[in-house]
Amino acid sequence: MRRLTEDRVKGFLRGRDHPVPDGEPVTTGADAQRIATALGRRVAVKALVPAGRRGLAGGVRLVDDSEAARAAAEGILGTDIAGHPVRRVLIERRIDIEREWYLGFSLNSTRPEVLLSTCGGVEIESLAHGHPEALIRATIDPMRRLPSWHAADLWVAAGAAGRTVPALAALTVALYETFVAADALLLELNPISVAADGTPLLVGAMMAVDEAALFRHPEWQHDEEGDDLPANPRERAVAIASRTLPGGECSYIELDGDIGLLVGGGGAGLYQHDLVIEHGGRPANHSVTPPSHSDDRKMKAVIRAILEHPKLRALLVGFNFTQMSRADIRVRALIEVLDAMSPRRDALPIVIRLFGAGEAEARDMVAGRDNIHYLPRGTTLREAVAKVVALAATGRAPA
Amino acid sequence: MSILIDAGTRVLVQGITGGQARFDTEWCLRYGTRIVAGVTPGRGGEEVHGVPVYDTVARAVAARPADASIVYAPAPMVKPAVLEAFDAGLKLVVVTAEFVPLHDVVYIVAAAHAAGATLVGCNTNGVISPGKSKLGGVGGTDPAALYDPGRIGVCSRSGGMTVEISLALRAGGYGISTSVAMGGDLVTGMTMGECLLRFEQDPQTDAVVIFGEPGTANEQEVAALLRRRLITKPVVALIAGAFQEAYPRGMSFGHAAAMIGSEDESASAKRAALAGAGAHLAAALEDIPVLLRHALAG
Repeated sequence: MRRLTEDRVKGFLRGRDHPVPDGEPVTTGADAQRIATALGRRVAVKALVPAGRRGLAGGVRLVDDSEAARAAAEGILGTDIAGHPVRRVLIERRIDIEREWYLGFSLNSTRPEVLLSTCGGVEIESLAHGHPEALIRATIDPMRRLPSWHAADLWVAAGAAGRTVPALAALTVALYETFVAADALLLELNPISVAADGTPLLVGAMMAVDEAALFRHPEWQHDEEGDDLPANPRERAVAIASRTLPGGECSYIELDGDIGLLVGGGGAGLYQHDLVIEHGGRPANHSVTPPSHSDDRKMKAVIRAILEHPKLRALLVGFNFTQMSRADIRVRALIEVLDAMSPRRDALPIVIRLFGAGEAEARDMVAGRDNIHYLPRGTTLREAVAKVVALAATGRAPA
Repeated sequence: MSILIDAGTRVLVQGITGGQARFDTEWCLRYGTRIVAGVTPGRGGEEVHGVPVYDTVARAVAARPADASIVYAPAPMVKPAVLEAFDAGLKLVVVTAEFVPLHDVVYIVAAAHAAGATLVGCNTNGVISPGKSKLGGVGGTDPAALYDPGRIGVCSRSGGMTVEISLALRAGGYGISTSVAMGGDLVTGMTMGECLLRFEQDPQTDAVVIFGEPGTANEQEVAALLRRRLITKPVVALIAGAFQEAYPRGMSFGHAAAMIGSEDESASAKRAALAGAGAHLAAALEDIPVLLRHALAG
């Protein structure tokens, strides 16, 4: 899932006519001061990073004049909040808050869930821990959506009373529609404040959206904060390949062991990883290779990352008996990456357990390479793991 | 007998003119699947491997009645394609696409319940009742060489592992009544528990093998059904991914669904729940026939 920065979330909410405070993102203290003056001096200065709990991390400051806004912005810009460098801050008008509510929607199982409380403005986790009775939770039928009477009922259960009930219910129904329209997996409004005149305002807004649905939201395709790529150069190269090249998803997670795992994305990869550990080996990585595709650059990116891990002592190319893809496509990619490597890894033990369409061609490709052990048909995944663990052990220096 | 599909099941292929659909249709037809019609809007009147193509599902089933549909629509088009199938009265719909938006998935899962229909997937490589019929790419170009007919039901969260389970069963002299790749996504239509309740009702299934992974409530649901004795046939379970527990929670080692959300979604918690409920736990594929022999003798 992709977490959006608050300015993008509020831009989306504003576009759907939800009440959000006026504000503007800036990158310098001088701009912060200028915007604060335009907004009437009393502003909130908020770090724009795709993370929750910014307040606790010092990423939100409330100031009363534009000089202070400048100082606050300069204090936050360039720092690191929850692992993200702060490149922009949001300058937002502050209002007088009479009451604060909490409203959240989430989707992580068969039915969307709504969570609400009349005790907003605090971290929802601490509320759930300290006062679970103050939180009202309900599931939503995605076909029926959220009827206004259901929303009203929930707010009454949460302790709301009087004329605010229908206003809250209408807001909740509209925000559920927005949650669905955004393909959000999480939408949290905290706090929703009520001004003295009774008007609600969405002061805090946080949203994470479904990456599988970004085709419906091209404006969010590119992460504005840019760099949420891993720092490890090999992980980074594969992450970039996964995003930019055609074909299915690929990934590479570097670990501390010495047995490389070139495996598929599903169950067989998990199973073999378990077996390596059970046999006393330590994986150097976990990987997800994409299904066969006419363009093999993604597959090669994963293979290259695995082979460049400095601790690598052996490699397992382990797949379930293929039903949909071809063995020769994977082995050709492996050979081409191996042959392009400098220095060469001609002594690296490689165990291949890959059966199915294209197998005869794949076996021909590795013929004459003594370091590559293409296991005979019928070898089980466990036997292949035992073989690679044994080969890695012989290559390992005695402790 | 078998579950979901048998030799008489009449099948519709939605999106039949696409590359993967053409490929799978050819090999399904060769295997004996009764594919009666295909649908691609705008391509009505064409033929794919001798199968007539219609513009809509309603037109297809009016001309050629069908029981089941396999949907090859790309992820963005899955929701309307599945709703169209339910609208036309189809009671079994299998969805192959990966990366279908979650809001679309939960909608079509709710729609399946409302229509009294069964949705398998998304993100499945199919269902096979060996020797009778298959839907989807399961078995590739030589399903007969990989899946033997028999009396063991298989339900797997991994499509790839169904073939390894089949080969392990063969090594012990067992064959399969139906093998279901239920789909590897966070939310799927038919759950593992629902699949096992079908095997429970199938007179030609003696025992069931499940393959599970971290993430989702599927395996815990099976454990609950075992405890309530709603499933009484022996269940042999292979649950992969325990290694993940050595790493921070929320770290993804594969499909998003295989990420541990809460404590009871870890492989170890699932193993413990299933063992406590009377399932037979396999540490490796080779254990499966041994455990089956023991369970079926007892």
